[in-house]
Amino acid sequence: MNELDANRFHEIGRSALRKEDFRLLTGKGRFGDDFNMPGQAWTVMVRSPHPHARIVRIGTNQARAMPGVLAVFTGADCLADGLGPIPHNPVPSTQYDMKLTGPGGGAVFVDPHMLLPADKARYVGEAVAMVVAQTREQAEDAADAVRVEYEVLPWLERSEDALAGGAAAVWDEAPDNILVDTFFGDQEGTDRAFAAADHVVRMEFHIGRIMPLPLEPRAGLARYDEHTGRYTLYFSTGGPGIVRQRRQFAAALNIAPEQLRLVAYDTGGNFGAKNRPYVEHGLALWASRKLGRPIKYRATRHESMLTEYQGRDLLTRVELALRSDGRFLAMRAENIMNVGAHCVSLSPLAKGAGLITGAYDIPAARLRSRAVFTNTTPNNVMRSSGRPEVTFAIERLIDTAATELGFDRIELRRKNLIRPDQMPYTNAVGSIYDSGTYEANMALCMRIADWEGFESRRRQAAARGKLLGLGLANYVESSTGSPKERAEITVTPQGRVEVVIGTQPSGQGHETSFAQVVADLLAVPLDSVDIIMGDTDIVKEGGGSHSGRSMRHAATVILMAADDLITKGKTIAAAILATTPDAVEFQDGRFGAQQVNRTFDFLELAKEAAARAPAYPPANALAVVKDNEMHTSVYPNGCGVCEVEIDPDTGRVHLTRYAAVDDVGRCINPMTVDGQTHGSIAHGVGEALCEQICLDRESGSPLTESFMEYGMPSSTTMPFFTTEIVEVLSPTNPLGIKSGSEGATAGAPAVVISGIIDALKEFGLRDIAMPATPLAVWQAIETAKAKLRSNERPAPAAKTVAVEAVGKGE
Amino acid sequence: MARVTITVNGKPETTDIKPRTLLVEFLRDHLGLTGTHVGCDTTQCGCCIVLVDGRSVNSCTMLAVQANGASVTTIEGLAEGDKLHPMQAAFREHHALQCGFCTPGMVMSALELVQRNNSPSDGDIRYWLLGNMCRCTGYHNIIKAIKAGAEAMARAR
Repeated sequence: MNELDANRFHEIGRSALRKEDFRLLTGKGRFGDDFNMPGQAWTVMVRSPHPHARIVRIGTNQARAMPGVLAVFTGADCLADGLGPIPHNPVPSTQYDMKLTGPGGGAVFVDPHMLLPADKARYVGEAVAMVVAQTREQAEDAADAVRVEYEVLPWLERSEDALAGGAAAVWDEAPDNILVDTFFGDQEGTDRAFAAADHVVRMEFHIGRIMPLPLEPRAGLARYDEHTGRYTLYFSTGGPGIVRQRRQFAAALNIAPEQLRLVAYDTGGNFGAKNRPYVEHGLALWASRKLGRPIKYRATRHESMLTEYQGRDLLTRVELALRSDGRFLAMRAENIMNVGAHCVSLSPLAKGAGLITGAYDIPAARLRSRAVFTNTTPNNVMRSSGRPEVTFAIERLIDTAATELGFDRIELRRKNLIRPDQMPYTNAVGSIYDSGTYEANMALCMRIADWEGFESRRRQAAARGKLLGLGLANYVESSTGSPKERAEITVTPQGRVEVVIGTQPSGQGHETSFAQVVADLLAVPLDSVDIIMGDTDIVKEGGGSHSGRSMRHAATVILMAADDLITKGKTIAAAILATTPDAVEFQDGRFGAQQVNRTFDFLELAKEAAARAPAYPPANALAVVKDNEMHTSVYPNGCGVCEVEIDPDTGRVHLTRYAAVDDVGRCINPMTVDGQTHGSIAHGVGEALCEQICLDRESGSPLTESFMEYGMPSSTTMPFFTTEIVEVLSPTNPLGIKSGSEGATAGAPAVVISGIIDALKEFGLRDIAMPATPLAVWQAIETAKAKLRSNERPAPAAKTVAVEAVGKGE
Repeated sequence: MARVTITVNGKPETTDIKPRTLLVEFLRDHLGLTGTHVGCDTTQCGCCIVLVDGRSVNSCTMLAVQANGASVTTIEGLAEGDKLHPMQAAFREHHALQCGFCTPGMVMSALELVQRNNSPSDGDIRYWLLGNMCRCTGYHNIIKAIKAGAEAMARAR
């Protein structure tokens, strides 16, 4: 491999402005709803109002007779046409993933996720029939006229309810609703350490269900071409990318993948919501063939909030054993993920399992990971999936241990943080952290947050009747993702460098950051590089964009392809210069040889080779295809510090400062990494302060159905952020890349709640459930005041403060 | 059907439309101006904001017939060829967009703010943007971009 000389990098590490922006700023983006075709019809779904109900009969006659209606299809029609389930492959399976099993060590039961169910509806909003009409309005009206007769069944909302047993089975194949039950770590060693410990601190948390909420609702246009027998779906998507989704949709439609073309250019946000195929896209493809018309679908915001794949929802019970001097000895954890009605991904559970000990050197640990079905919207990976949950547990546990055992919370962390000289570090459940300077990150974050100046600000706030709190949390997260990526690089005689790659960005700026890597490795101008994605007729392999994989996988395979391209360039230059390839050198971006005056850069060489065609046909002269498979995880890490100001009379939490330090490994574009860190913080802040999905306890119907009810963070929720990028190069890949974008989300909920508990310390509060809405905070304060008045000491063993789940923050 | 004449980005457009047609549908479906986006059903996300006679309006909540005779400016009407409007340029320079879906509404909304207040404070901008949601940026760079865009527009005057 070409030896890397970082001193020669001009583009890598530079805050280059984005290539994407001109089109996005001038309305020229191509999002899912921006595709239209002559003759297109529209589809609208008929959705279940019940969380759990047998479908007895679907009356479609009235709907079929309505103006413009072309068809009404049900689950029975799907079965009759031989449609199959969407193969979500939810069990993480790269070499370094934590291996989840079913109860008793067997295979995990994965439910068949049919495009339309023929037997039961299993959550409110599940599509049970589709209507196709000439216009969207006609389809909407007809959907209202489809008469579905249901036999309503008992339903389940929460993991606790599922575990309590005796509930109705969401899936008959999993009668007790448990699909995963796996133990990790060392039982005996952990038990021994707990028996010998001086202190044990226990906590229990329910990390609530929230929504990824990209602003673009899912949409798409499906077309079947009867002449070629091919289907095309124009849509917007994310995570798995189009290559994997082509296989998945093809399987559900029972066709060969080659019969299907997926096209997805701009995606209006993802955050996990678009990381698994949706039934509506599959149904539109199917119906386009049955009806011989292009079929368009666009979710309303209401539909998105009912049916877009959701995130979090982990019940976690944790225990930490400490020696009298504060050294951590062992940890026990029990994690239960509520997967909802369909198991589309167990990645959050597996990711979290590998990180329960956080950034700390904890010699022994024992973990039980379970997953349960409930009658709720399918739960999926959401930004930083699995990591915010376990980070919250360990960081909150440490704060509590510090308070209850009389340690300074920073000193306690310092004493136990994994040291650089311990890297690579294998944690107690087997994850191998590649590199990092955790204590230095914490010190830097405290410095940029002006930790020292806090006391003075606290006094000033107190003078105004406000309670100021200081929150801190460290995090380590893991970036894994689909192990395969391909780069196809072609240098054209027209002076362009075309790079075809299989990632699927949704705002990360791959067209810019990947081009920066290419520009440096091939020594060509940034403006000459075109990154090409988003069409399965062009992109044949690639793993999409999830789990912080894109920059690391793309840069690695681009580097390998660039090496091949340089070798190829030497051969061509040798022929042109009438010498041998081993006499040609590629130096300072130019091909040349001893005693030859002429030299070429890549663009000149391509042009020269083309001029000498047919000896060097441009199609294969300066072009390479390179595949790479890389399983090793990397462990981005960092620290967050916040200040919150609480009005004790209203319970309102005002976030006044937020600082984040993120070790992303080599940073390609600091501007875009910082930008993603900002959004990443905002996700975690929203989770901590205002975001929560609420269901009506009687009907099971979501109460959070629009932006009116769901606490989406607004421009006034957030302060300006102070961020620093740390670049401890990862030894796992040639450029030393870890990942940006998800780390701050991993830490932020713990950071914010830590700040709130600190602000309320005079009330002796041990914990507060997320989201810490004004009502929740006010109730916590009033409850604590009442206890103090009645001279009761706040019970340290109390669980999270019970707060009625209503409303939102702002 | 109802006949409307709406001047869009300086060009009069006369079309027969169903009376229930929303302004955003008129722009996207009839004129093919897909830069104006729809992100919600409740007039909250701001992705569909356009200027109607200079005022920022959620085009998902206005009937096209209500805009009859009006002058509408969409995101497509700001740049002159390759030259971005100062507010668009500020969004690019300050990395105020990631996925770009909320961006057209943000830019159009910012333009009315600057019309009303040519030197808005950070707080003014944050308050003004309560009708515009963004999930990518945490708003940080958007606030900075609008401030810089307002300054650039003031300089250009």
